[in-house]
Amino acid sequence: MKESLLDNILDPSHLSVRFQPIFRIHEKLHQVCALEALIRGPKGTNFERADILFDYVRRKRVEAAMDRTCFEAICMKAKELPSQFRINVNVHAVTLGQKPGFTDFFWKLADRCSIPMERFTIEIVEHAPSCNIPTLMDTVTALRDSGARIALDDVGLGQSNYRMMLDCQPEYFKLDAYFVRSLKHYPRRKAVVESVVKLATAMQGSVVAEGVECVDDLLELNRIGVEYVQANLLCSAMTLEELLATGLLGHHHQEQALVYQASQPLGGIDKGPGKLLVSA
Amino acid sequence: MTERILIIDDDEQLMKAYKEHFTELGYQVDCASEIEEAQTLLAYFQYSVIVTDLRLSKLGFDGLNLVKYVREQALPTRVVVLTGYGWPEIKAEARAHGVDVFVQKPTKLSTLAQTINALTGVEA
Repeated sequence: MKESLLDNILDPSHLSVRFQPIFRIHEKLHQVCALEALIRGPKGTNFERADILFDYVRRKRVEAAMDRTCFEAICMKAKELPSQFRINVNVHAVTLGQKPGFTDFFWKLADRCSIPMERFTIEIVEHAPSCNIPTLMDTVTALRDSGARIALDDVGLGQSNYRMMLDCQPEYFKLDAYFVRSLKHYPRRKAVVESVVKLATAMQGSVVAEGVECVDDLLELNRIGVEYVQANLLCSAMTLEELLATGLLGHHHQEQALVYQASQPLGGIDKGPGKLLVSA
Repeated sequence: MTERILIIDDDEQLMKAYKEHFTELGYQVDCASEIEEAQTLLAYFQYSVIVTDLRLSKLGFDGLNLVKYVREQALPTRVVVLTGYGWPEIKAEARAHGVDVFVQKPTKLSTLAQTINALTGVEA
């Protein structure tokens, strides 16, 4: 009997993993400090696209099973990454709010792959309007106690609201691409970014801006005080092999590995729109 | 532009035959074997025509529910329903929910192709 789509996607060997660097931005240097693990569905199908894949997962209400499957696929690849980089993993809030907890599974798998919990940042993805908040908070506390850090994904959109900021106390506030585009031309967007930076700072957190597409926006974010950026402008999501081949992770020169210098200092980068510094 | 069609059926062999045939005719063909799969695809792609069985017992849903969903979402999609039932009351209900064409099962691939071509304006 032919395997159903659901059986197919709940098999980690049918998923592929891409990694996209998260850069700490300085005036003149960008420094890779973490890699977000991004899942793609079965190759050659419509569900290879992450948005379609996870839409289906949410319609089937199998987020928890899928998060476990994704984590298995990620760990199998992430164990080959240079150990100085943090690994960001997306987990649905409903998964963290379910019993039996996700934490045991996470710990055991990370241990089996010899990846210390301290290397993980759990990005909480919230699409459902409600989840079990007390259990979610317990799980977040357990993950944090074991060394993991917490990020709140898609801040400003959907369910990533003020309550989640208070309940989860994230170390990172991931600002959706919607808010960081054409900042110079949209003062209201800039006002939103400034307010999130202020809020994150007051909560002892940092802002990660996603989907930055041009150097002007990158410079503006830097001026506003955004500390981290994840963007195709700097490096697109790639397979592990492609990423290692870029030399960006510099595992041969550990001292320099954490510092990736753009082809020119940030202030002098070619300001062409969407200029890719590193792409697959 | 290539016309895109979505086929929903619980018979894998039949769906494979549809896909091969309509792909050969120049259509871009997607198949779904459950309602969530179909709903997801409908959210991301614009289909000229949907072909669904009326009774999809193995899938745990009635093809009519999918027709209702398509119409509730106001999707600009023509709906062809394959049915082995000749009952006028079932057809009347389905038509009321927005079915464009009924095709009696079993049917030849060429007959179904003629129906789809007529709906999409594609010349055979």
